[in-house]
Amino acid sequence: MATVECRSVRKSYGEHEVISDFSLSIEDHEFVVFLGPSGCGKSTILRMVAGLEDITGGDLMIGGRRVNDLDPGDRGIAMVFQNYALYPHMSVRENITFALERAGETKDMIARRLAPVVETLGLQVYLNRKPTELSGGQQQRVAIARAMIKTPEVFLFDEPLSNLDAKLRGHLRVEIARLHKELRSTSIYVTHDQLEAMTLADRIVLMNAGRIEQMGTPEEIYSRPATLFAAGFIGTPGMNFFNLVASGGKLTDGEISIDAPFPLSERPVTVGIRPGAISLVRDGMPGAIPAIADRDEFHGETRLLSLTAGRQSFMVAVPASVRVAEGEQVFVSLAPDQLHLFDTESGARIDA
Amino acid sequence: MRPGTLILRAVLILAGLVVVIPLLWTLLNAFKTNADLLVGTPKLFFTPVWDNMDYVLSRRSVARALQNSLIICSSAVVIGAVLGVPAAYVIARIKNRATREAQFFALSLRFMPPVAVAIPMMVIWISLGMYDSRIALIVTYLTITISITIWLSVPAFERVPIAVEEAARVDRLGPYATFFRVALPIARMQVLSAIAFSFILVWNEFLLALMLTTSKAKTLPIVASEMSQLGMNVPWGILNAAVVLLSLPPLILLALVGRGMNTAFSKKSPQD
Repeated sequence: MATVECRSVRKSYGEHEVISDFSLSIEDHEFVVFLGPSGCGKSTILRMVAGLEDITGGDLMIGGRRVNDLDPGDRGIAMVFQNYALYPHMSVRENITFALERAGETKDMIARRLAPVVETLGLQVYLNRKPTELSGGQQQRVAIARAMIKTPEVFLFDEPLSNLDAKLRGHLRVEIARLHKELRSTSIYVTHDQLEAMTLADRIVLMNAGRIEQMGTPEEIYSRPATLFAAGFIGTPGMNFFNLVASGGKLTDGEISIDAPFPLSERPVTVGIRPGAISLVRDGMPGAIPAIADRDEFHGETRLLSLTAGRQSFMVAVPASVRVAEGEQVFVSLAPDQLHLFDTESGARIDA
Repeated sequence: MRPGTLILRAVLILAGLVVVIPLLWTLLNAFKTNADLLVGTPKLFFTPVWDNMDYVLSRRSVARALQNSLIICSSAVVIGAVLGVPAAYVIARIKNRATREAQFFALSLRFMPPVAVAIPMMVIWISLGMYDSRIALIVTYLTITISITIWLSVPAFERVPIAVEEAARVDRLGPYATFFRVALPIARMQVLSAIAFSFILVWNEFLLALMLTTSKAKTLPIVASEMSQLGMNVPWGILNAAVVLLSLPPLILLALVGRGMNTAFSKKSPQD
């Protein structure tokens, strides 16, 4: 078990700097998820931790030891790759035990360590097959077994579920969560899927353009997004944004107007609110905003209404039993305690 | 079956016959007496004789040439593989100016007409006093075997997924272990076909052997061709027998790795 620490880690390809000054400290046993859109640098950082990419500058510490110049095999890590990366010419058993054989473990020892790993992942029947004879989900199980048997100090997952179909992804996600509960190994998990991030992470590191946008528990990031990017990236369906101007205790765009939750100097603000925090109300309610229904999507338990009020269009989640005809006029009210205010220019959160 | 498919099949069968019948004919003629050979209507049924084969095999020059061919070709192929396969791996994995140039150089050797090699080589070996030696031909043939091995092995190694080699690095394999335990076994079928192909090329090679040997180091194609120069009477039976013998090693090789070649090209590469 070990801590992982990045101290001002930089990465550039020639002149082009992709990561500048990345610092992060991961505690023992912690499950950290790097979340972000493709190209945000999350995989690059993971690969630097693994030792598959050179570190241009800064220090990378694993278990308090500087590992910048160590080979991947000497860092005490194990990695699960997006496309499984199994050895196609070896059987499942050989794939799992290869690293131990290379390390000179005895046959007895290998067999003893293989048994529980194989059992945990339910791979007994596949041991003598070749990876190509397995489905994607089974292949990724083998890859996880191959990582597990090394009892690494740090587990690295590089989008391990991206190549699987939705149902398998769900299964394996639960399995990874269960494994982490048992093993308690420090883990870094890279994904662009916010559901994986929300369900697996002790802490999410939300990244954008090579920088950390926000760090925190899934609840923290969901309920108090620190930036416009964080607000827009997390949550399905996505948060609604209104570009308004703060003026005299009101937030307005000339057509709609809502009460400011706290005093603000006069400036442009972007107001964010999740579709679930908007409700349909009767006409005449104080603060009710008139809107026209454009579209009605049935999502099972809820319905997602697309509404337009003046220049602003937004989504509202309502119980599926509510029926609104397209083109009908409705009135909505925004829950004042669920408004997120951001500086329109910098994107930074504004708090009272 | 649709008429279109039927016509295509017929064309395919016809094309196949065009290729196979002359070979079959050569095989049959190798076992005919001259009397059976030199008749107006070709004979399909006859009493096969071993005389032609016997004549070819019992000649000292053939035995010697066979020995020469085997030693020269297998040495050139083995050395070519030992040097070419790792070179191909490096070219496939490390992309920079030097490896790009090396790859192009290997390819350019294939563009060059053999005559352009033959004449300077002849001068070089004569002045080194090694003209008409096996060593001279082995070294000369290396230009063929190395370039072919590199040329055909580079794509084989490029098809090995990078992630698999990265997994090997995480499993504590150094560059050499990664090559021998992971990349080479994964690419083995295509690499073997490349090596086999280089063997077939040098086994059939004629021009260089003709210009670089006179007696001691003559290879089988040279000796076989000489059999047509025995006089006014072309010894068709003997010629055919020599051709059959000459074709055997490449055919055996094809039978061994041909299936591998096919699977290597038709099977989807692992984990794409």
